[in-house]
Amino acid sequence: MALDIAKYRRRRLRSTITVALCWAASALGLTILGVILATLLYKGIAGFGPKVFTEMTPPPGSDGGLLNAIAGSLVMTIAGVIVGTPIGILAGTYLAEYGRYSKVSSVIRFINDILLSAPSIVTGLFVYELLVRPMGHFSAFAGAAALAVLVIPTVVRTTENMLLLVPNQLREASSALGLPQSLVIRKVAYKAARAGMITGVLLAVARVSGETAPLLFTALNNQFWSTNLNAPMASLPVVIFQYALSPYEDWQRLAWTGALLITAAVLTLSIAARWLSSSRTQQ
Amino acid sequence: MNLMSKDVDTGLTEKITVSNLKFFYGSTLALKNISLPLYERQVTAFIGPSGCGKSTLLRVLNRMYDLYPNQRAEGQVMFDGENVLDMTDLNLLRSRIGMVFQKPTPFPMTIYENIAFGIRLYERLPKSEVDGRVESALEKAALWKEVKDKLHSSGLSLSGGQQQRLCIARTVAIRPEVILFDEPCSALDPISTAKVEELIDELKNEFTIAIVTHNMQQAARVSQRTAFMYLGELVEFGVTQKLFTNPSDKRTQDYITGRFG
Amino acid sequence: MAFLADANSQATAAAAARRKVLEGLRTTDVFFRGLTVSSAYFVLILLGAIFASLVVGGYLAFATFGFRFLTTEVWNPVTEQFGALAPIYGTIVTSLIAMLVAVPISIGIAVFLTELCPMGLRRPIGIAIELLAGVPSIIYGIWGLFFFAPVIQRYVQPELIAAFKNVPVLNQLFAGPPYGIGILTSALILAMMVLPFITAVCRDVFETVPPVLKEAAYGMGWTTREVVRNVVIPYTRVGIIGGVMLGLGRALGETMAVTFVIGNAHRISGSILAPGTTISATIANEFTEAVGDVYTSSLIALGLILFFITFIVLALARLMLMRIEKKAGA
Repeated sequence: MALDIAKYRRRRLRSTITVALCWAASALGLTILGVILATLLYKGIAGFGPKVFTEMTPPPGSDGGLLNAIAGSLVMTIAGVIVGTPIGILAGTYLAEYGRYSKVSSVIRFINDILLSAPSIVTGLFVYELLVRPMGHFSAFAGAAALAVLVIPTVVRTTENMLLLVPNQLREASSALGLPQSLVIRKVAYKAARAGMITGVLLAVARVSGETAPLLFTALNNQFWSTNLNAPMASLPVVIFQYALSPYEDWQRLAWTGALLITAAVLTLSIAARWLSSSRTQQ
Repeated sequence: MNLMSKDVDTGLTEKITVSNLKFFYGSTLALKNISLPLYERQVTAFIGPSGCGKSTLLRVLNRMYDLYPNQRAEGQVMFDGENVLDMTDLNLLRSRIGMVFQKPTPFPMTIYENIAFGIRLYERLPKSEVDGRVESALEKAALWKEVKDKLHSSGLSLSGGQQQRLCIARTVAIRPEVILFDEPCSALDPISTAKVEELIDELKNEFTIAIVTHNMQQAARVSQRTAFMYLGELVEFGVTQKLFTNPSDKRTQDYITGRFG
Repeated sequence: MAFLADANSQATAAAAARRKVLEGLRTTDVFFRGLTVSSAYFVLILLGAIFASLVVGGYLAFATFGFRFLTTEVWNPVTEQFGALAPIYGTIVTSLIAMLVAVPISIGIAVFLTELCPMGLRRPIGIAIELLAGVPSIIYGIWGLFFFAPVIQRYVQPELIAAFKNVPVLNQLFAGPPYGIGILTSALILAMMVLPFITAVCRDVFETVPPVLKEAAYGMGWTTREVVRNVVIPYTRVGIIGGVMLGLGRALGETMAVTFVIGNAHRISGSILAPGTTISATIANEFTEAVGDVYTSSLIALGLILFFITFIVLALARLMLMRIEKKAGA
């Protein structure tokens, strides 16, 4: 018996160690998040002020803000989402509704999942070859196209998942009224899945608005205010990239402020998306 | 309850005539040569143990099985002179043969919209007329009094029994000729069940009705004709009263006396 | 009978009206279906087009250097001699180190979230970890450059160099001056980035373990460690590997976080403290400044190699995750 107790103690000790390591791992994960956010706040607040939203990105050594970069990010993100969302929703609809049982769908699903985590810099190269090289110059247009390519797989995935959550009984019930399938989908299934689909779009916006790599050689950058979609356009991530790697302190300060802005925007979007999808269940 | 103890051949119109119907899930034969009529303005009940094919039969009548792959039917289902199995316009078919399901399935819209939605699909009516149709559908489903003050709240806010009656109202509103009920009370409490049964009795004055049920007392209460099915076969079909008091097949006898099922 | 006939003709009239309405709707129906089908195929075309554009763009590099492109370390824009070996090496080494660090921690967090965490904290902590996944990679980059690299340089690297100074093999691995930036720092930043992805997948697959299995094991008096080790992990092994591969796919392709802290040195060094480069960092740093067709084409060829590697890793990941989904569904 004594031997058994010793063995039991040893088992318990080992288990306690494992449990402690798991706690430690979680604490580490949360600490990383905490430290990143704290650094961002501390460094980002320093350069924060009304000028950030009212003035253009400055040349080194002078005062300025991030207005053109913020505007550029908004324009290209919105354009990318406007182009990518309908395609994503329609493709997701095919996978969940018309093609739910077809072989092609499983291939498309598979490919879409790969696109979902494919390196975003490759998207930039693709759009460079497709648009920038033939057009002969960088443009906001190309930047938006690159972002749209990133939006599509995200929206396809969430749309399909959300439509699959719509109970089949609802489809049967609306078909039983004689509704053609397109109306079953548009009037009933979309309505039932709406909150989830909006969540998907918000998550896509969140993902895309922080993307840098696909914009580097599509939209490039622009020191000045520009609303011309056919010309290079500044964006927050690219400005952060350029300014952070520069030797000028005021540029670096602006980079931190931009980083704070973009993180705040992205986290707000993801939290909003989550809140929306959890409030759906209560509706 | 059972007023129609007349002979099968006495003056009743066959609204739907099923003959030699076979149904396959993939290669599994789920219905074996079913033949029977559904009489106009009568309630026909389908009873039998789970998996006997009664729901499958119902889902052939409005071609609901077409929503899924690898399911097919052979034989004949004549509906007003046309074979349902050959029809190409399934939406039209389903607008003429409505269906109410096991679980209440209100659409994610307001109570009003749940009903007006189907009406507006087929007919372009002024708002006042749609209002009237919504009201009369809710009246027919014995729901009007309970919901008239909250027509614009969500259909999902109703109780289970009310939701089911909303679904009946929705079906009635588009004026089908036949209504199929697939175990409409199995998710309801006894009081709601009684209401739905009353309603079905009411509705038979206007519609031809088929109801699948697990509950033999329910079949006895609401139907004029009953079909007993077992393992994909139609064992016995006849006047409800006779089937329950004096069945001609041993298996029917065993089932209704609770020896299996 | 007259009443019946009347009802019948009414029904036929109504049916005719309905048929007309439905015929009108049929066009929309066909149109909508067509839209969804073409959008779905568009996803396929997209992948094909990306692949094709990289092949076309990188063709010149492969034609010029042939197979040597994959096996040489030289990267000289002046003499227009390019070889992909250094970035390929950097990409693989940083990703592997990142996985070595991230996988145990991720599994630990996932175990914590599914087995140990008090119910009320599960959701908030789960969300916090997912938010970590939402932080844009450029934030990791700037944070890595200005905060993490100096910390590593001051406190970690000197310790590593001192600790392994007299150990053979390892003193090569941890050799050189503490630059701060370099392979190791990049790998650690990558580990932080993929951590939430792997955690999320592991948590999800852990939740597919039927509670009865765990209850039976706990019922025999097993400890938490034994349940995790002998029930949860064996049951979900394929899923965990899938999650790890998914994280690896992310790590291989990650650009911005690495670009800031890798040091951009086109050479293969024995020391993981030394600066290096990765495929994505090379492209991000040099693409807009590349002069000459061969230079540009070489960078696009790098992109093709990256796409190819990640495609295979991600495809394997998906196949494995599909297997566990099937198991959970069955």
